[in-house]
Amino acid sequence: MEHLTIETLARLVDEPARPEETKHLALCEACASELAALRAQTESLAALPEIMPPLGDWRVLEAKLRSEGLVRDLGLFQKLGLARTPSWMPAAAAVVLFLGGTGFGAAITNRGAPAGPQSTAPLAALSVEGAANAVREAEQEYVSAVSRYREVMEEQGGGDVTTDPVTRYAALEHLVSVSQAAVRQAPGDPFLNGFLASALAERDAAARQVSANRDNWF
Amino acid sequence: MTDASAGQTERQLIRLAAEGDARAIRMLYERYAPRVYAVVRRIAADDDLAQDYTQEAWIRAIRALPTFRGDARFSTWLHRIAVNAALQSLRKADTRSKREEDEAADVPIDPWNTDSLLQKRLEQALDTLPEGMREVLILHDVEGYTHDEIGDVLGVTSGTSKSQLFKARAKMRALLSGVAGTAGEQGAEAWSI
Repeated sequence: MEHLTIETLARLVDEPARPEETKHLALCEACASELAALRAQTESLAALPEIMPPLGDWRVLEAKLRSEGLVRDLGLFQKLGLARTPSWMPAAAAVVLFLGGTGFGAAITNRGAPAGPQSTAPLAALSVEGAANAVREAEQEYVSAVSRYREVMEEQGGGDVTTDPVTRYAALEHLVSVSQAAVRQAPGDPFLNGFLASALAERDAAARQVSANRDNWF
Repeated sequence: MTDASAGQTERQLIRLAAEGDARAIRMLYERYAPRVYAVVRRIAADDDLAQDYTQEAWIRAIRALPTFRGDARFSTWLHRIAVNAALQSLRKADTRSKREEDEAADVPIDPWNTDSLLQKRLEQALDTLPEGMREVLILHDVEGYTHDEIGDVLGVTSGTSKSQLFKARAKMRALLSGVAGTAGEQGAEAWSI
């Protein structure tokens, strides 16, 4: 008895057999067994898992994307979606944060000091991912504050408020402090470093405004 | 506090990534990198080449993001870009001689897992298949493409795709059973590890 060729059997994995092939398979245990093995092979191929890329793959890709101009670095307020909000909104958000009891008061009178043990102590024990999360939470805290204040203003019929650079500075000081702690945990993370640079720039701008206002007072 | 990141839909992520937002691009990468790397690695059949081709695939995808209209699922759209990038890169490079010189690449697996041992045998056998057979076998049996889709991607007829597939399955069977035999010489038990 002549066996079916291996390529014929490979076809029969997912195509119907012709009558003579069906007849042969019913009689030939070897060919039926080989067909079963081919089907098992095909099922196993379909079940092959995904493969994790090598470590460092993202870093290399990110560098290439930047060199191609496909990644745009945004300023802090653009990242927070505040670029198109009224000018009073960032300061208003800072007021909400300040009054929210998150412990920024010390930062106003002691510029060089960290924002307090509440923000730095837990970070010391965090992983890299934990540090990144800390920065994201700080960012989200700020956005959340803006949203809350927006709701309050809308309930009161809208309108402008007086910008308070001192309280704005205090809130930004907190963001800088959290960002610095995160960068210490993950010194090579470009996102964290970019966020810190943006926060520092915004804080320094607020500090200059505070200084200018003091000069005007005296 | 609301979790703005977790709440972002894929559509929002794609829009932000298309605008160049680094974090959105990274989130898309983290979500799809294993799937993209797997298909590119199998087509390339070489770790170093796979890394290069994967990078090329992602750059093409990010560059093309503004053209993504959502007609197909994003994963399907990205997968097609990755396959095309890998195939085109493979055509450009003179990789045949390199693979002939190299040992079959060793895909990292869990040695205590019998599924992983089977996976290792399959991956190594795939790596040693001739290029044309390997591409068709990966696209059809691993990735689930139809012969018409394979024809579009590879620029061949669906009949050619079928013919290559049957040859590839037979070659794989021979590689996995240890002999290049014909039907009847090896039974289904040879499949087991």
